[in-house]
Amino acid sequence: MIFTGSPFTHMEKWRLLLHSSQDAFTNMAIDETLLISGKPTIRLYKWKPSAISIGYFQGMKEEVNLDACKKAKVDVVRRISGGGAVFHDREGEITYSLVAPEKMLPKNILASCSKICSSIACGLGHLGLNAEFSPLNDIVAGGKKISGSAQTRRYGNVLQHGTILLDLDTNLMFSLLNVSDKKIEDKNIDKASKRVTCLREELGSVDKEEVTKALIKGFEEGFGIELVEGKTDEKEIERIDELREKYASREWNFKR
Amino acid sequence: MPAGNGILKGELKVRGGKLVKCHLMIKEGKIDEIRFTGDFFMYPEEKIEELEKELRGIEFNEGKIKNAMTRFFKDVEVLGACADDFVAVVMNAKLTK
Repeated sequence: MIFTGSPFTHMEKWRLLLHSSQDAFTNMAIDETLLISGKPTIRLYKWKPSAISIGYFQGMKEEVNLDACKKAKVDVVRRISGGGAVFHDREGEITYSLVAPEKMLPKNILASCSKICSSIACGLGHLGLNAEFSPLNDIVAGGKKISGSAQTRRYGNVLQHGTILLDLDTNLMFSLLNVSDKKIEDKNIDKASKRVTCLREELGSVDKEEVTKALIKGFEEGFGIELVEGKTDEKEIERIDELREKYASREWNFKR
Repeated sequence: MPAGNGILKGELKVRGGKLVKCHLMIKEGKIDEIRFTGDFFMYPEEKIEELEKELRGIEFNEGKIKNAMTRFFKDVEVLGACADDFVAVVMNAKLTK
């Protein structure tokens, strides 16, 4: 038998997809496609134009100021995952998605969310930020939310996607979203905007490349894996085109 | 508790959890239409549509709604709210104009 390497240095390889900016419908079609494929993957991406994604159960008209979005040329899309509405500023955030078979993650949803978010927090730690997972689905720095995530499980696979805030135009964000007073009533603060922070606010300056590198390192350390840059395959590309139609449709986006 | 007919709206921020809202239409003391929205998590997600279907035709009565909800929650995993929260948001819904 030919000796091909020490079992002690063997590290599982996951696919890394570094995508430049795409529109909301394509972004959500890609994430669902990856979920169907189930190939262990980390994807880092942005949104162009800026967009609002809402959770599976949210009411589009309840959550989103559609007139303001139209004026600001901000797209709106419903996610396949639950959770809340997110403003994806084309310059002000990095979105991640993680896909893996269920058996590669803790069975308990909260535990798996904690593992993924802790890896991201570890990545942010490499930038000098002291961040931690805050149940159910946030990462906080100094008590303020800097990242939010949502997870779904289908076809025996897990998809978790979320945003990491680099910069934040609070006024623009809250002009696009209809934030319910009820949502913040059990938190000891008077304004929703005081709950949120971003890397620029915490660290002074942010370099997107540096953040990307730090996140990659965080996932590699958190999961004990090696990320190898790859591409979507032909079958996936076909499926992305099909699913994009769903995410661009009024029927899907306004079903609640 | 409103009896008879009407359109009702309820909203509950679960302490340490998520926001659950509901819109419902009552006809002759029974739920005619109901829709839950909010930023909670439910697995599998599509089951919410089954819940809304199951609640249709049920008397607007806490015991009956609680029974249906308890049964439903055995088949799903929900984060950020529990069966009692879903019952509470329905029972505390207020008449809209």
